[in-house]
Amino acid sequence: MAEPVLSAEHLTKSFGDRVAVSDVSFEVGAGEVFGFLGPNGAGKTTTIRMLVGLARPDRGRVRIRGVDPAHDFARAMAHVGCIVESPDLYPYLTGRENLLHFARMLPDGAASRIPDLARLVAMEERLDDRVSSYSLGMRQRLGIAQALLGAPDLLILDEPANGLDPAGIREIRRLVRSLASERGIGVFVSSHLLSEVEQMCDRVAIIHRGRTLATGPVSELLSRSAAGFRIVARPAARAAELLSAMHPGRVQPDGEDALLLAAPPDAIPAALRGLVEAGVEVFAAERRASTLEDVFLEVTGGETV
Amino acid sequence: MRFLPLVENEVLKLWKRRRFRLVLLILVALIGIIVFAQVEGRRRYGSRKDWRIDAQEQVARMRNWLRRGRLPDTQRRWVQFEIARLQYHLDRNINPDETSGPLFTRGFANAASYLLLHLLAIVFAADIVSSEFAEGTVKLLLTRPVGRRRVLASKLAALLLAIALTVLLGGIVAYLFGGLAYGYRGWGAPVLTGFRLAGETLDSSAVRAVPLWEDTILVFGLAWFATATVGVIGFMTSVLLRSTAASMGTMLAALILGTILPRLASTWEFQKYLFVTNLPLPDYYTGSPPPIPGMTVPFSVVVLTIWAFAAHAVSFAVFARRDVLA
Repeated sequence: MAEPVLSAEHLTKSFGDRVAVSDVSFEVGAGEVFGFLGPNGAGKTTTIRMLVGLARPDRGRVRIRGVDPAHDFARAMAHVGCIVESPDLYPYLTGRENLLHFARMLPDGAASRIPDLARLVAMEERLDDRVSSYSLGMRQRLGIAQALLGAPDLLILDEPANGLDPAGIREIRRLVRSLASERGIGVFVSSHLLSEVEQMCDRVAIIHRGRTLATGPVSELLSRSAAGFRIVARPAARAAELLSAMHPGRVQPDGEDALLLAAPPDAIPAALRGLVEAGVEVFAAERRASTLEDVFLEVTGGETV
Repeated sequence: MRFLPLVENEVLKLWKRRRFRLVLLILVALIGIIVFAQVEGRRRYGSRKDWRIDAQEQVARMRNWLRRGRLPDTQRRWVQFEIARLQYHLDRNINPDETSGPLFTRGFANAASYLLLHLLAIVFAADIVSSEFAEGTVKLLLTRPVGRRRVLASKLAALLLAIALTVLLGGIVAYLFGGLAYGYRGWGAPVLTGFRLAGETLDSSAVRAVPLWEDTILVFGLAWFATATVGVIGFMTSVLLRSTAASMGTMLAALILGTILPRLASTWEFQKYLFVTNLPLPDYYTGSPPPIPGMTVPFSVVVLTIWAFAAHAVSFAVFARRDVLA
């Protein structure tokens, strides 16, 4: 990876006795969509607050294009656009007034981007209505427009899919992908939705109880999760016994007549022959594509998102 | 990053939250009621039409005293002032025994500096920081490439601007309404200033006559100063408490304490170091006894300045360092 746009090194933050984030490290490169996946309360938003200088890390440091916001806040944040937790804008101002407000906090020229950005997030029609009349999806889109006002190199989005309908989610996904590929923006996206991260991101870090449990390209994480087969056989108990003898610890029941066998494909013919020879009736054996959900279950030890 | 656009932002937000309109409305309603009540109350007594003859007789009598030259020095100065005052009114055909629009305006500043102006300052101050926390917008405001101190400074600047405007607006509304009832003329009338209470007696050695407009500007200046101090302290509570209701409640309690304490515990001398006790300084500048004997205008200015600087320092120190978890 070239010089990362964002790097977090050993970020740690406690509130009293409760450790919210512990030793979290990752890097986000230019043009890359980086997913930060974890259940609610895992420490995602606390991490983001440290990334953008809202909270001070107890330990560790953040660098945005090599600049630590703790040392030179204005210079570091000049490259960042963000939405933290929720797209909160001034409800008593119109969309345009909100954008103008934040453009005034940027170097000259930011205001001239407003028409283009409004078109980009499809908010032209409603730009002169008050934000209090917007739906959550519209706020989310206006929030992204706001984040892009300063032509950032790094975009930080906290749960961008929140409050959106499936069509809206698809739109945001397309937008994020094109920002990364066409403008070379590094995008950091936090989410508790596995499918979302899987479809949107190039790389992902899984955070659980304040710790990163796995980090890597989505494809690599997916292949790391043992490929699995779903075998429907009767009697299932007997099948489980036989398969466990061949592949200890890799068999799980899946419903009444089915088993999940985590074994590479070339081990399957022998396994099936074994079952048939022992008189077990095999009805089906199908390959299951692993998903981030499997990875997640695996690394968190079975806790669902 | 230039500073002025930040102040523009904050003023815009105050304006769009309709704070100015609310304050203007309160001023118009309150002053309207006061003027109406005064005019209605006075109607019973009626005014004397022959005031000119009275005033002319008085002037002639006092001139006589002066000519005979048997007055002690202090009385002499009083008589000279009274002649000048009556002559001013005679020359302009204004009844000297009645109030005038300009006098009402000055009187408003005195009365309003007991509570009204400070309450209005709190309307602005209480939520200028805490509302950003309540609405969650603080997360955007403080993640822009502008240091936290600059953001806070722009808010303080907007607040002080709003407070100056409020005091000015109070003066204008009072003059418009007072003038409507009592006439718009009389800014040049001589008034006495410089009274000091020395122990039990009135020390008049520093008393001198100035035109009313000059005195009014000074009274409004003092009223503005006291109100700005309340604003800065309210600003601090807004930063510290992060809640508009809590900030407003705290400031209200403090201000009300300031009106009660001198009455119910006047022997507790230490209260003269509290900011609330020093707030009505325009009133004791114009000659009313101060809340605690021995308090003077310069003393109050110093006490209020120290409070304002301390509140300012605390606001910035806390705001610049604290984690934002809103």
